[in-house]
Amino acid sequence: MEWLQWFSREENTKPLALLIFFITFCLILIYVFGSKKRGERLESHKDIPFLDEDSDTKEAKE
Amino acid sequence: MAAVDVAGTEQYNFDIVRKFTIMALVWGAVGMLVGVYIASELAWPFLNFDSPYITFGRLRPVHTGAVIFGFGGSALFATSYYVVQRTCQARLFGDGMASFTFWGWQAVIVLAALSYVMGYSQGREYAEMEWPIDLLIEVVWVTYLIVFVGTLMKRKQPHIYVANWFYLSFILATALLHTFNNLAVPVSLFTLKSYSLFAGTQDAMTQWWYGHNAVGFFLTAAFLGMMYYFVPKQAGRPIYSYRLSIVHFWALSFLYMWVGAHHLHWTALPDWTSTLAATFSIMLLLPSWGGMINGIMTLSGAWDKLRTDPIMRFMIVALSFYGMSTFEGPMMSLKDVNALSHYTDWTVGHVHSGALGWVAMITFGSMYHLIPKLWDTKMYSEKLINIHFWLATIGTLLYITAMWISGIMQGLMWRAFDDFGNLQYSFAESVAAMHPFYAMRAIGGMFFLTGMLLMLFNTYMTIRQSNSQGSKLEVNPANAVA
Amino acid sequence: MFNFKHEWIEKNVGLMLIATMIAISIGGLVEIAPLFFIKETVEKVDGVRPYTPLESRGRDIYVREGCYLCHSQMIRPFRDEALRYGHYSLAAESKYDHPFQWGSKRTGPDLARVGNKYSNDWHVQHLIDPKSMVPPSVMPRYPWLMTTALDYSDMAERLMALRQVGVPYSLTQGEYDRNVKDFGAEVAQTLHIPDAQKNLIAQAQAGNFDGDRSNVSEMDAVVAYLQVLGTMVDFSKYDNDEFVKFR
Repeated sequence: MEWLQWFSREENTKPLALLIFFITFCLILIYVFGSKKRGERLESHKDIPFLDEDSDTKEAKE
Repeated sequence: MAAVDVAGTEQYNFDIVRKFTIMALVWGAVGMLVGVYIASELAWPFLNFDSPYITFGRLRPVHTGAVIFGFGGSALFATSYYVVQRTCQARLFGDGMASFTFWGWQAVIVLAALSYVMGYSQGREYAEMEWPIDLLIEVVWVTYLIVFVGTLMKRKQPHIYVANWFYLSFILATALLHTFNNLAVPVSLFTLKSYSLFAGTQDAMTQWWYGHNAVGFFLTAAFLGMMYYFVPKQAGRPIYSYRLSIVHFWALSFLYMWVGAHHLHWTALPDWTSTLAATFSIMLLLPSWGGMINGIMTLSGAWDKLRTDPIMRFMIVALSFYGMSTFEGPMMSLKDVNALSHYTDWTVGHVHSGALGWVAMITFGSMYHLIPKLWDTKMYSEKLINIHFWLATIGTLLYITAMWISGIMQGLMWRAFDDFGNLQYSFAESVAAMHPFYAMRAIGGMFFLTGMLLMLFNTYMTIRQSNSQGSKLEVNPANAVA
Repeated sequence: MFNFKHEWIEKNVGLMLIATMIAISIGGLVEIAPLFFIKETVEKVDGVRPYTPLESRGRDIYVREGCYLCHSQMIRPFRDEALRYGHYSLAAESKYDHPFQWGSKRTGPDLARVGNKYSNDWHVQHLIDPKSMVPPSVMPRYPWLMTTALDYSDMAERLMALRQVGVPYSLTQGEYDRNVKDFGAEVAQTLHIPDAQKNLIAQAQAGNFDGDRSNVSEMDAVVAYLQVLGTMVDFSKYDNDEFVKFR
């Protein structure tokens, strides 16, 4: 359990945390913006608010 | 309410949305009125009238409670119940439970206000409600979660739209924050008085973890959910980037919870905690601006509508204030800036640039979009919406300008030294110097309040108009739209 | 190969609930939990003791009236604050404060070390009519503190509640002896719950905080509380940089 002590020192945990967060952030960015095909798939859901126009205002119904 | 039934009560539960919408406007007017009154008390202290019930100290929580939980909370209940139904294409889960959240929540606001005036307070900002009210909130909130998640589960649309993610995150975070920040031991079962479980440093950290995330999730994430639905609807175009909204959501949810300790810079809280909070506050700028860009870019290409559509104006100004205050916030969380700004009116100004500029404006915009749909008619007066817009904008600008000047002046006066190394000003001198700006702030608030009252009137007339149209509709449906 | 799709989360409420819960829990856990375990968070200092019954009731009134909305109780380590208010506040000085009253706004001055700075008479007059002592003041007047009798009927219950959240008020002989050891006999006596009402009246009589011995008013309690603020630690006993390492 001696190795756990390594985590209790700030000079170790600071760069470690930075590394973990930065890599996670980059992975998310690569996942979201990395592939054009995946991008198009993800973007396809943005029309959801417009899918139930039928019961909108009177103007829309007329 | 015959017209209402035509709009499809069978398909959706709009009744609950209508109730919350009306109460949001009522609490907005009440809360802002109290706000103007306490602002005036600071400018003209005789207004305290030597009455225990209306001193600044007791009315201030009435103001914050009525605007945050009454106005903001009811607006969030209304819009979340509306958005979740429309984007899931399913009727709200549990009519009875939804109705309970309405009456329960209204009871919370009324009881809280009464208890503050009577002198019952936990002494924790934005969480002053004593333990029985806290328990009621807990029950209402869990019911809210069940109604919301229940509706998501019976959705006909396979995807959960991004606005709902934000609402869900807001509901979960609020439950978490409320529970842990209100742990207390009551003096007895028959008194309202209680003592918080934590003391000193740990209590301070818990409170500001709550306090800042009340801003982060109640007043930001949830209103972003509002933004993600109503801005695209009003602009008539889908959100600019759905991918950006994915990054925005996860980054915002994760980062916000770290930043509360920036309210405790230079205090007895250990340095590592507040430094960590400051670091995350800076990082938070990225998702915040990501969200703002997403909203504003949705409107690009519909710029011409800004000239003709006052609702769009509300939305674009709200997003601009959101961008402005999410830049100001990280800046104020830097320790050197905070050394000057903390304890001064600058903080108050910052909160209000977010609360008036962002929260209230995006709510007004969304509500003006929502109300005609709920009562199946048009707004009574487009012109009044326009006047409301200008009153709100001028009011906000007056308010935050006054608080910037007074805040920075206070900070500088407190730390000013004369040639001999003594303090240059007494504290009382700094109080005297604030007077003109306190007056200016109160006037800014009056502008904002007037706008709110116009909205209330406009809505009242709209509902009346809808009711009379409704009766016409029954007689002769062909004439209804004329 | 592991092929993650964000759509899994977008299509599954349960997954979304769990993922969101994880995202919002980490920050609080990392920043709050250690504060309860790291010993240096609250330094060890001589002199800090729980409030006497009278002071404690004064503190209740301080919370009731919302004083914390305009007055902080947290002096920061700056030269101007040292000159204006005194030594910067220590974590230990609020370790018995349920709830903490550090505040977030100084519409009026900081009160962390207001104790012993002004006379009782000054406080009484200032609370009844602030402008008579400080002309530019915007503080409300609190005349009813003087005319309202202090309700101390549930004093013991209040201290019992505080004891439950960890303040060392004593109920048993064992706890009393521990307090004698920790705080000295004189203080230990004021912390003994069975004598709470007796102690409260005795302190109000002896201190005569509101200048009127005929009854115990809310003014007595508030002034007693204000007069003890920041006076518990004797800083002359410590080196100047003694507390820097705890920050």
